Amino acid sequence: MIALALFGVGSLARDVGHPIGAAMASTLFVWAGPAQVIFYGGLAANVPLPTIALAICLSSLRFLPMTMAFLPLLRGPTTTRFTELLAAHYISITVWTESLRRLPTMPRIERVPYYFGFANACIILSALSTGIGYLLVGAVPGPLAAGLLAVTPIFFTISLTAGARIPADWIALGLGFLLEPIALVLLGPGLDLMGVGLVGGTVAFLVGGAIERRRA
Amino acid sequence: MSDFLLPYVLMIVVAFLPTEMWRSLAVYLSRDLNEGSQIIVWIRAVATALLTGIVAKLMLSPTGELALVPLWGRAGAIAVAFAAFFILRRNVIGAVLTGEAVLISAAYFSGAHFNF
Repeated sequence: MIALALFGVGSLARDVGHPIGAAMASTLFVWAGPAQVIFYGGLAANVPLPTIALAICLSSLRFLPMTMAFLPLLRGPTTTRFTELLAAHYISITVWTESLRRLPTMPRIERVPYYFGFANACIILSALSTGIGYLLVGAVPGPLAAGLLAVTPIFFTISLTAGARIPADWIALGLGFLLEPIALVLLGPGLDLMGVGLVGGTVAFLVGGAIERRRA
Repeated sequence: MSDFLLPYVLMIVVAFLPTEMWRSLAVYLSRDLNEGSQIIVWIRAVATALLTGIVAKLMLSPTGELALVPLWGRAGAIAVAFAAFFILRRNVIGAVLTGEAVLISAAYFSGAHFNF
């Protein structure tokens, strides 16, 4: 799924005239579909570089809680700081959801090799897919190309839905959709996502907490 | 700077570093925080709202071929995928494929002027 999502990144990179090597390297290094879409989409729209960096920084904030929640599962008595930093690099929505589902039932000693095997397969397939997307962009019929560009937004909506557990998650999910059109008008295309995240997330946290307390 | 290296340097500075800093920071911060703490719940809610905000933004102001698909097709694809996720008993791949089918059909039948 993530490989398909990054197919579209290849075509975006080609639109801004970057080489295929940079497009594939962006998958290996950045390893975050939305960040790559913001990067190449932002360049295409002539958004100033610091604004793109800020938007990416904010969109990648999710890796902080995701990685923090994941590492205790992987960590064993012999895990080094370097292994943890390397493991953290591979965190993506697909790798994260699969690992959180599978690792808890595995013996601790098998978790590190399993994780790196699975994560490497994901990242290598995705880099290849980015390259194929780059090469095929002109050859794919229009409606299908539109479909490939839509894989990222559709997939993230569904993964977030699949990962939502508590009321705060659900409220945040809905508020993100509702607040973005308003924020785009009020805050402009640079700060809108930060506003949506902070306002939507904080409201969701407070309301979600209140709902859980009432239930308890 | 040479034109050859510029795309790589931009990618590292503008896209890689702002993303990787959160993953690396998490390695240091995760030592003392436990998964169920309220700070994590709040940060996750902020990240979730931000991510669906990105989805809304990609669908409301799309780029490339996606811009040629009418708004009802783009919004409908998300809504149908969401509904399909529950109808198909939480099947992620089935839901995404259903949403994709809606979007590609909308693109195909809307009479948008694609270059074939």
